[in-house]
Amino acid sequence: MSTLTSRYVWGVLRAVPERQRADLEPEIRALIADAVEARTAAAQGDDAAAERAALTELGDPELLAARYTERSLHLIGPGYYLDYRRLLTLLLTIVVPIVTLATMVAGFVAGMGVAPLVLNGVFAGLSIGIQLAFWVTLVFALVERNGARRAGRPMAWTPDRLPSVPSPSRLGTGEAVASVVGSVIVIGVILWQPPFYADGGTVPFFNPALTTTWGAWFIGVAVLQIAFTVLVYAARRWTWPIATVNAALGAAFAIPAVWLLQTGQLLSPEVRAEIERVGAGAALVPTAAVISVVVIGAVAWDALGGFRRTRRRDPG
Amino acid sequence: MDFDDILSGARQELRRGTIVPACLLLLRRPGYGYALIDELDQLGFTVDANTLYPLLRRLEGQGMLVSEWNTEESRPRKFYRTSPDGERLAAELLADWRRIDASIHRLDVGDPR
Repeated sequence: MSTLTSRYVWGVLRAVPERQRADLEPEIRALIADAVEARTAAAQGDDAAAERAALTELGDPELLAARYTERSLHLIGPGYYLDYRRLLTLLLTIVVPIVTLATMVAGFVAGMGVAPLVLNGVFAGLSIGIQLAFWVTLVFALVERNGARRAGRPMAWTPDRLPSVPSPSRLGTGEAVASVVGSVIVIGVILWQPPFYADGGTVPFFNPALTTTWGAWFIGVAVLQIAFTVLVYAARRWTWPIATVNAALGAAFAIPAVWLLQTGQLLSPEVRAEIERVGAGAALVPTAAVISVVVIGAVAWDALGGFRRTRRRDPG
Repeated sequence: MDFDDILSGARQELRRGTIVPACLLLLRRPGYGYALIDELDQLGFTVDANTLYPLLRRLEGQGMLVSEWNTEESRPRKFYRTSPDGERLAAELLADWRRIDASIHRLDVGDPR
C-alpha cells in the first residue's frame, strides 16, 4: 500500500470517532483500490498518476469524513444563526456601552486625565465586546454540534416576536446616539478645559471661576440628558411627561449657557484679553449673539419636536 | 447570470433527491461502491464518489441496505443490497415520483385541474 493512499486513509480516519475507524478503514481502502485500478488502465500503467487522480477525485479527506459521520461543516447553521445574531446584537449593544461608560466614570473618580480615561474606556469596551462575541459563538457552535435539535428549539419563533414598526413619533436610533454623543462631548469639554494658545503659553479657554459652580451644573444636566435619552429610547414613544422633561432639560442647558455667554463670563479673562489684543474685540458681541440664537433655536426646535411627536401619537 | 449556469443550478436542485431511489432500485442486484458510480453515471445520474459512499453507508445504517464483504475475488469488496425495508422505501418513493410526473404533465399540457 503506497504512502499516498495510506496518508489519505489516515486523513479520513483521524477525523472520525475511534469506534467507527475499524469498520470504515477496509471500506475506504477497497474504494480507493478500485478507483486506482480503473484508472491504471486509462493511465497506461502509470500507477502513481492513477493513484493521484483517484485520490484527487475523492477530494479532501476531512470532507469525506464529515459526510460519513454526518457532521456539519458550518460553525453555526441556519437553524441557529438568527437566534445567534439576535442574542449577540442584544448583548453587544447593551453591555459594551455600559462597560465603556462605567470604566470612564471610574477613571474620572480616580482622577485620571482625559486621554487615558477615554483610552481606558474604549479598551475596556473593546475587550468585553471580543469576549462576548467569542463566548456566545462558542456556545452556539457547541449547541450546533451536540444540539438539542430533537428536543425542539427553545427560542421558537412566534408572531409575538415581530418587531414593532418604527413609528415617526418615536426617538430614532440616530437621534439617540447623537444626543448621547453630544452630552458626552459637553462633559468632556468641561472636564478637559481646552487650552487656548495665547501669546507666550497656554491659558484655559473657559472661565476657571465657573468650573465648580456652572461646570458642575452643566455636567449634571448632561448626565441627566444621557439617562433621559436612554429611557426615551427604551420607551419607544413620546408622552406628555417625556416631552416636558425634554423641554426642561433643554432649557436647563440653554438658559444658563446663553446668560453666561451674553454677560461675558463664559470665556476666561485671559482669552478675552488675547482676543482684544489681536484686534478682534469688536467681533465678540456679534459672535456671542449668533451663537446664542443658534443654541436657543436648536433647543426650542428640539423641545417643540417632542411635543409635536407626542400630539401626533396621542391627539387626546 | 448565464442561462447555462441557471440551468445547471436548477438541474442540480431537481436531481438532488433522485440518487436515493436510484440506488435502492439499482441495488436489487448486489453491487459495490466503485461500480455503482459507473452504473449510475451511464444511466445519467451524476454523483460524486465522496457523496455516494457516505450515502450508501447511511442507508445501510438506516436498514435500507444490507452489506456483505465479498472475498472471492482478488480484493475484498463490500457489496450492498437493498433490504426488504429498502424495497418498501423505494416503492413509496416511486409512487411519489409517478404522482409528481403526472402533476407536472398536467401542468405542462395546460389542464392543471
